[in-house]
Amino acid sequence: MFGRMIRGALFRQWKKMLMIAFTIALGASLATAMLSVMLDVEDKVNQELKTYGANITVVPKEASVLNDLYELEDGGSAEAYLREDELGKIKTIFWAFNIVDYAPFTSVKAKLADGSDVTVVGSWFNHHMELPTGEQLDAGITSLRSWWEIKSGSWLDEKSDADENSAMIGAAIADKLGISVGDTLEVSGIAGSRELKIVGIFDAGGDEDDQIYVQLDTAQALDGLDGCIDSIEVSALTTPDNELAVRAMKEGVGSLTVSQFETWYCTAYASSICYQIQEVITDSVASPVRQVADSEGAILKKTKLLMVLITILSLIGAALGICNLVTASVMERSSEIGLMKAIGAQNGAISGLVLTEIFITAIVGGVGGFFAGFGFAQIIGKTVFSSAINVRPMVIPIVAVLVVIVTLIGSIPAIRMLLSLRPAEVLHGR
Amino acid sequence: MKKRRMYLRMITASLMRRRSRMLVALLSIAIGATVLSGLVTIYYDVPRQMGAEFRNYGANMIFTAADEEFTIEDAEKGAAQISSSQLVGMAPYRYENVRIRETPVVAAGTDMEGAKAASPYWSVDGEWPSAQGELLVGADIAENYNLKTGDTIEVTYTPEENETDEVTLDNFILFDVVGILDTGGSEEDYVYMYLSDLEELTGESGSIDVAELSVSASSDELSSYVDKINSSVPAVNARLVKRVTASETTVLTKLQALVLLVTIVVLALTMICVATTMTAVVAERRKEIGLRKAIGASDSSIIKEFMGESMLLGLLGGIIGAILGFIFAQEVSKNVFGSSIQFRPLLAPIAILVSIAVTGLSSLMPIRSATDVDPALVLKGE
Repeated sequence: MFGRMIRGALFRQWKKMLMIAFTIALGASLATAMLSVMLDVEDKVNQELKTYGANITVVPKEASVLNDLYELEDGGSAEAYLREDELGKIKTIFWAFNIVDYAPFTSVKAKLADGSDVTVVGSWFNHHMELPTGEQLDAGITSLRSWWEIKSGSWLDEKSDADENSAMIGAAIADKLGISVGDTLEVSGIAGSRELKIVGIFDAGGDEDDQIYVQLDTAQALDGLDGCIDSIEVSALTTPDNELAVRAMKEGVGSLTVSQFETWYCTAYASSICYQIQEVITDSVASPVRQVADSEGAILKKTKLLMVLITILSLIGAALGICNLVTASVMERSSEIGLMKAIGAQNGAISGLVLTEIFITAIVGGVGGFFAGFGFAQIIGKTVFSSAINVRPMVIPIVAVLVVIVTLIGSIPAIRMLLSLRPAEVLHGR
Repeated sequence: MKKRRMYLRMITASLMRRRSRMLVALLSIAIGATVLSGLVTIYYDVPRQMGAEFRNYGANMIFTAADEEFTIEDAEKGAAQISSSQLVGMAPYRYENVRIRETPVVAAGTDMEGAKAASPYWSVDGEWPSAQGELLVGADIAENYNLKTGDTIEVTYTPEENETDEVTLDNFILFDVVGILDTGGSEEDYVYMYLSDLEELTGESGSIDVAELSVSASSDELSSYVDKINSSVPAVNARLVKRVTASETTVLTKLQALVLLVTIVVLALTMICVATTMTAVVAERRKEIGLRKAIGASDSSIIKEFMGESMLLGLLGGIIGAILGFIFAQEVSKNVFGSSIQFRPLLAPIAILVSIAVTGLSSLMPIRSATDVDPALVLKGE
C-alpha cells in the first residue's frame, strides 16, 4: 500500500516532482562542478606557472661558490662539472613524477672569425628520453624557455635537424653580426672549431640575446668537455613551503626528527626535491630559485583560497535554492495532507510518506546532477586550461551528503507545518 | 492617481499577507543577485589583485643607459611616467669590482627600500641594511668568506689610475654585515650596499648601470609605458623583462577566464533556481486568479498585478543581493588578497535590473498559463 501511494504520488504529480528533481539536479551539478574545479585548480595553475621556467638549479658543489666570480674576473671556466651520464637519474627520484622538464647547460667562451668573444651555450632543445620506467619524455629549453620570442626561423628541432652544427642565435648578437637564418658562422674554442648553421633567431629580453645556443655535444666538443655539464635547470611541480619545509632549509635536514624527515621527504616541497636530486647527481648542489619557487607558492595559495570561497558561495546558493523549492512544493500539498489526516493517518505515516517521495526524487536529481556537473567541470577545464579536470572520488560522497542534508533541511519546516494543520480547516479551504 | 495607489496597495498587501511564502521567494532572488554582484566584482578585480601577487616575481621592466651612462635622476624621470599607483618599486643598481680581504667581489650600490619592493622574493637572514655603513652579503659570499651577521668587514676599492703619475691610494670603508641574502640566483655572489656608500668608496657619483622596476600593469599598458619612456626620456633605454611579463599574461588570462566561466555557470544555475521558485509561487495561486476572473477582472489587469508583485520582489531581492554581494566580494578580497576591493557603482544597478528581469520573466509564463484557465474549473478545484 505504501509503495502504491508513493508511486501514485510520483506519477500523478510528475510535473511537480520533475521540478524538484530538476532543482536538486542543478544544485548537485553546481556542487560537483565547483568542488572538482576547486580540488584540481592547484595542479592546473601549477602547470601554468611552469611558463616561468625552472624553479630549481643544480650546479657542481665546488663551482657553486666561485663559478660566477671566476667568470667575471678572467673568463676562465670553473674546474668542477656535473656528469652528463647521470642526467637520466633525475627522473628516478622519489618525486620523479613531479619533474616536468629539465635541461643541462654547458657554456663555453668561443671566438668568432674576427677574434671577438662569444658565449656558446650547449643544451637540450627537445631531447627525447626513454626512461627505465617505460615513460617517454621530451625535455629541454624549447619548453623551458617558453618566453623566448622567435624572430625568424624556428626552434632547433633535435629530432629532424640531425645536423649537430645547427644553432640558434640571440637577436642582439645576430643584429651586431648581421646574421640571418640560413647563414653559417664559424666559432672556435680551445679544442676545435665549428661551422654553425643558424636555424633560428630568438629575442629573450635578457642576457641570452648575446649568446649562441647549440646542442650539448657541439658545445662540449668546442672545449673538449665531453660528458661535462655546467648546470642543470629543473622545472618541478612543488607544494608551497610550510613551517616544516622552512625549518628543513634553515636549520638543515639534520634538525628534523625521523618522522618529520619522512613527512618532509615524502612531500613535494622544493627543498625536498632539491635534496633528492643531490642524492642522485654526484657532487651537486641543488637549490630552489626563490624568484620562481616563492612566487609560485604565493600565487597557488591565493588561487586556491579564492576558489574555495567562490565554491562556498555557490554551495550556499545551491543549498538555499533546493531548500526553497522543497519547502514550497511540500507546503502546496496541504489539502492532500489534510484529507489524509481526516481519514485517520498518523503523523509519522504522513512524514514518512512525504520524506520518501522527496528522497526518491532527490536521488534521481542528485545522480543526474552529478553527471551534469562532471560535464560542467570538463567544459571549464577544456576551455580554461585545455586539459581535462580530474574528478576526485571524494567529490561523490561530499555531494551525496550535501544533497541529503539540504533536502532534509528543506523538508523539515514544511512537514512540521503540515503536521500542525487541522484537517477541518484545510479541507474547508482556509 | 487613485488607481495607482490602489494598485500599489494591492501589490504590497498581497505580499504582506503571504509573508512566509514571499520571504522564501525573496531569499532565492537575493541569493541570485548576491552571486551575480559578488562574482562579477571578483571577476573584474582578479587581474588587479592577482597582478599584485605576481609582483613577487620581481622586476618586469628594466632601464639601462641609452648611450654611455644615465643617472638616477634620469631613472626617476622615467619612473615618473608610470602612474604612482601602478609602480610597486624601483631599485637603481650600480656595480663595481671591489675587494674583500684582498679578493675581488662585485659590489652593488642600490636603494634598499627600492630593492625590497622590487624584489620581494629576496630572503634576508638578519636585517635589511637601514643606514649607511651597513652591508647585505650574498649567501655564497658569506659562506666563502665565513661572514655572519654582526661581523665587520673592510671593503676596498682601487680607483682607476689617472694620467698623472701620482700613486693612487686604495679607498676603503668599514661595513657592518647586517644581513645574508638568499635568492637561489646570481644575487648570492654580490654584496649590496647603499648607493651613497658605493659612491663614497669609488669617489665617483652620478651614474648607475641599471634600474629595476616592478610595475603592476597589464602587458599592453607595460608596452605603452616603455614606448612613452623611451621617447620622453632620451637618456634611458626601457625594456620589458620578457620572461616575467609574457608568463604573467598567460597565467592571468587563464585565471580570469576560470573565474569568468565559473561565474557564468553559477549564475546560470542560480537564475534557473530563481525561475523555478517563482514558477512554484505563482502556480499555487491559480485559485486566486480564477476568483479574480470570476468577479470580472480582465486578463491584462491580472497579469499587470502579478507582474508588479514579482517585479517588486525582484527589486527588493536585487537590492539585498547587491549589498550582500559586495560584502561577499569584500570579504573574499580581504581574506585572499589582504586588501579591500573597489566598489563598482555600475554593478549594483545592473544586478538589480537583472534580478527584476529574471523574476519578471520567470513569473510571466506561469501567470499566462494561469489566466488561460476557465475560472469555473479552477474554483471547483479540478
